Amino acid sequence: MAEKIFTRNFHRADSHTLAAYRETGGYTAVGKAFGMERTAIVEEVKKANLRGLGGAGFPTGMKWSFIPKDSTAPKYLVVNADEGEPGTFKDRYLLEREPHALIEGMLIAARAIDSHLGFVYIRGEYVQPWRVFSAAVQEAYAAGLLGKNIQGSGFDFDIVIHRGAGAYICGEETGLLSSLEGKKGWPKIKPPFPAIKGAFGHPTIVNNVETLSAVPHIINRGGAWFAGLGSKSQGGTRLYSVSGHVVRPGLVEAPVSITLRQLIYDECGGIPGGRRLKAVVPGGSSAAILTADEIDVSMDVDGLKNAGTMAGSAGVIVMDETVSIPEALMVVARFYAHESCGQCTPCRESTGWIYKITHRIVDGHGRKEDLDTILDVAKRGAGTTICAFYDGAVGPYISYVEKFREEFEALIRSGDHA
Amino acid sequence: MADPRRPEFTAEQLAEVRRLQSLYPEARGALLPVLHLAQDAWGYISLEAEAYVAGLFDLSPAHVHEVVTFYTMFFQRPKGRHVVAVCHNLSCHLMGAKTIVDHLRQRLGVDVGETTADGRVTLLTVECLCACEAAPMMQVDDRYEVLLTAEKCDRILEGLR
Amino acid sequence: MPKLTIDGKEVEVAPGTNLIEAAQKLGIEIPHYCYHPGLTIAGQCRLCMVDIEKNPRPQISCNMTAADGMVVHTQTERILETRKSVMEFHLANHPLDCPVCDQAGECWLQIYYMKHGLYDPRMTDEKVHKPKAVPLGPHVMLDAERCILCSRCVRFCDEITKTGELGIFHRGDHSEIGLFPGSALENAYSANVIDICPVGALTDRNFRFQVRVWYLESVKSVCAGCARGCNIELHTNHHRTHHNQGRRVARIKPRFNADVNEWWICDAGRYGFGWIDDESRLTAPTRAEGGRAVEIAWDDAIGGVVDALRGVRPEEIGILASPDMSNEDLFALDRLARHLGAVSVDARVPPATPGDQDEFLIRADKHPNTRGAELCGLAPRAGGLDGPGMLKAAAAKQLKVLWVFQHDLFQSAWPEADVRAALAGAGRVIFQGSNANATSAAAHLVLPSAAYAETDGTFTNFQGRVQRFRAAVPPLGDAIPGWDVLGRTARALGAPDPVFEAGRAERVFTALAAAVPAFGGMTYRGLGDAGQVVAR
Repeated sequence: MAEKIFTRNFHRADSHTLAAYRETGGYTAVGKAFGMERTAIVEEVKKANLRGLGGAGFPTGMKWSFIPKDSTAPKYLVVNADEGEPGTFKDRYLLEREPHALIEGMLIAARAIDSHLGFVYIRGEYVQPWRVFSAAVQEAYAAGLLGKNIQGSGFDFDIVIHRGAGAYICGEETGLLSSLEGKKGWPKIKPPFPAIKGAFGHPTIVNNVETLSAVPHIINRGGAWFAGLGSKSQGGTRLYSVSGHVVRPGLVEAPVSITLRQLIYDECGGIPGGRRLKAVVPGGSSAAILTADEIDVSMDVDGLKNAGTMAGSAGVIVMDETVSIPEALMVVARFYAHESCGQCTPCRESTGWIYKITHRIVDGHGRKEDLDTILDVAKRGAGTTICAFYDGAVGPYISYVEKFREEFEALIRSGDHA
Repeated sequence: MADPRRPEFTAEQLAEVRRLQSLYPEARGALLPVLHLAQDAWGYISLEAEAYVAGLFDLSPAHVHEVVTFYTMFFQRPKGRHVVAVCHNLSCHLMGAKTIVDHLRQRLGVDVGETTADGRVTLLTVECLCACEAAPMMQVDDRYEVLLTAEKCDRILEGLR
Repeated sequence: MPKLTIDGKEVEVAPGTNLIEAAQKLGIEIPHYCYHPGLTIAGQCRLCMVDIEKNPRPQISCNMTAADGMVVHTQTERILETRKSVMEFHLANHPLDCPVCDQAGECWLQIYYMKHGLYDPRMTDEKVHKPKAVPLGPHVMLDAERCILCSRCVRFCDEITKTGELGIFHRGDHSEIGLFPGSALENAYSANVIDICPVGALTDRNFRFQVRVWYLESVKSVCAGCARGCNIELHTNHHRTHHNQGRRVARIKPRFNADVNEWWICDAGRYGFGWIDDESRLTAPTRAEGGRAVEIAWDDAIGGVVDALRGVRPEEIGILASPDMSNEDLFALDRLARHLGAVSVDARVPPATPGDQDEFLIRADKHPNTRGAELCGLAPRAGGLDGPGMLKAAAAKQLKVLWVFQHDLFQSAWPEADVRAALAGAGRVIFQGSNANATSAAAHLVLPSAAYAETDGTFTNFQGRVQRFRAAVPPLGDAIPGWDVLGRTARALGAPDPVFEAGRAERVFTALAAAVPAFGGMTYRGLGDAGQVVAR
């Protein structure tokens, strides 16, 4: 069994406490980091091949190095705890079970980018995780691990916890920043990029909960160690959220080189009732769907990209033969229409439009030109928007229709416009 | 509970507003936390509350209204004493969310988006709450209720006063 | 200065120039909605995308700063297809109200669809419905369905007037422009949002359903509402006189001038044209006979002025000029006054209520040409009386001729009793102006002059900027330009100054520029569209 990093303490009922975290070696990495050059910390994280685990998969060390070295402006570290990608629940577990790993990861990242103020943006619906994480932050302050002159290092760092209020788009990096600033969660046009001009106009790094939770381990045991656990282009293990038609849905920590087949059948017990696998969403609803023939793919960023989909948030949704794919697309299209922030025209208009079409198809009023309309509208909108939200919608729009076209056509033929 | 049509924070609440505003590089960053405070204090966020909060932030009421109408957790009309929000996104849909929603509609005698006549429960459908491993599920006030069945729903409803 | 290539043509631009402006310099139009040079960048409409070499994806040109060596393509296959797609998205939920929408003919959905769209529409589902025909304030009407959510109006209220009335509420395709419920769009510049709205979402309540824009002519002019002289276009209806309730002037639109008003105009100025086509216009010379105003011919009217002045000593003449008159009118009046030897000349009549002024465009002085009156010397000469002095002298029967230009003295700050006594005591009261008022009603002789919209001429604004206005419509009835009335009078009096022979306003201006040092060297051509500041 591969080594557990993120979930190593999950068997303990008190894993969220400072005491338990310290017992298992917690808050030693931060001391080490305070003795390192900022650039050395960044180098170690680069060496680890740590890729962003929120959805975009961007190399974390490279992201940190975008902060201008000569800037005297205050720099902010923002944690994206606005988990919202359908099929994903890993950050919820991390906030509730291992909050101190996030805090320690924040401290190390802050030291690396010279930030003294961190914001943790927790989605508004996550009330229990917010309470647990808030208590952990209080513990850290009480123990002198946050605030002024941490552990006598001369380094100051404060954490402000900011609750969201219900909007998936606030999980988009700059949508989150707009929301943090007290506005609607409208993503910002780039340039300028957040590392140059982010929260409140200052250099900002936004990292996912899980990404930062890996950092203390990387500092303690070295980037090379972390890199070696994974694939050639992505280091470490990651948390796969598996749900849908599997015997054992839940969180699975595995090396990123694990295949989808292994995840579904070895880790999660396969499909209940002996039914056949029909389709899998491999990386949250924004990832293109895979058919049952396509599950021998390694679940790292590059592996899934080469398979025409994406690793995204590692939210794995398994569908068996009983599932109506047109209905599933309608549910997903409804989600994107509901969550579109409405700022830019292609996304605002076409998410609503495509949802109406899928709804009509499912209701038995589909027309034969509807499928080509969905595909053409999606392809025309892709790449034209302010942020990648729409590209995330396009993933399912195109892949469901292209890979299961016959099923859609049959539904249309059996409807009243046949 | 204070009158939502004549909203005014207590001295203590105002102190909390100022404290929250001081945490951010620009006071406006505290708008969402303060709107949560307002909703907790007055049950929902009326137009009067929006204008009042706008005054605390030196913002135009239109810009506070933008924020309140953008986020799903802010209620602009009175809600029930309890909010039952059933997830109807993909994993929950696969695991029977529709059945749960229909059962709740029937039990409560309301449609989605409505509140029971006795003001006890507001029923909503929402997008992914990220508890997919325990689908179908719903959020009842502050807590998640998971692995729902019709019977479990009935027990939960019974516990809501 | 960065040098870049757009569609194969090279151009050098100032640092910080975006690609839309850079392309414009080459005469290349990049279509756009949300970009406006007077507002911050929104980047929302996605219509202005262009291909830039070394950039794998198209970029919006409004947010892209021109860089040295950049190579931009605005007409690639991909960009043409992208524009088509973006047009389709903009029109997906559009109600297509064109037959009943005032914006038709100047609508940027129409214009860009014809240029960049031309696809067959395929959205056959029910469109999103939103509020229609919602009055936002006294001047602006909202149709939320037509709105393309470019956010220009929101940014205007935030950044220019800093009043923040407008917002975009909700999200997704239910996003909606609106006011905070219960509030109104009432700032002093509210109607500018009508100009910047590319579509028929925000329309002019005053102009609503009056006349189709393709029937309108346009001339470049200057607002006469205050001393700023915001640059404008006068839009007039010549071709459908049974529309717009017969009024010739249909609307005023602001015209860009970097030094005077940028892109904007205040509501008072924008809507201050009703008097031009109003019933109170003086359209024929009249003589008071038996309590009535009897219409006479111009020859008789001029004769009447000559009669009034016969045998009158210079100190018995009082002339109240107006800062509403053009530089040309005022110069001709100054020359006539000199010929007559009149010393009691003034242009200052204080208003009953002081005008409002703000930090932006609005000036307290509600006359367009106070500087012109000063520079042309319309002030008491040595030994002459000022305005209040003239009133007193007239009341004491010491003024044989009181010649009042444009003013309604009863609307001034001067006591009504003083005004009444002056008008009763003066030997002859001559009123020359465009509109009837209580003062003209008390005059013995009324001479109708053309409005600024009916003649060429210039005003000098509070900054000393001399700006041209142009004739948009012919003078109403028998009205003629003020300098022409004065010219005919002067010729009838045998005054030799050649300025009185001028048949065109430009000739009067030439004489003015030669005679008044502040205007030295100025010509109509030199004034162009943006005007010139007087010499110190």
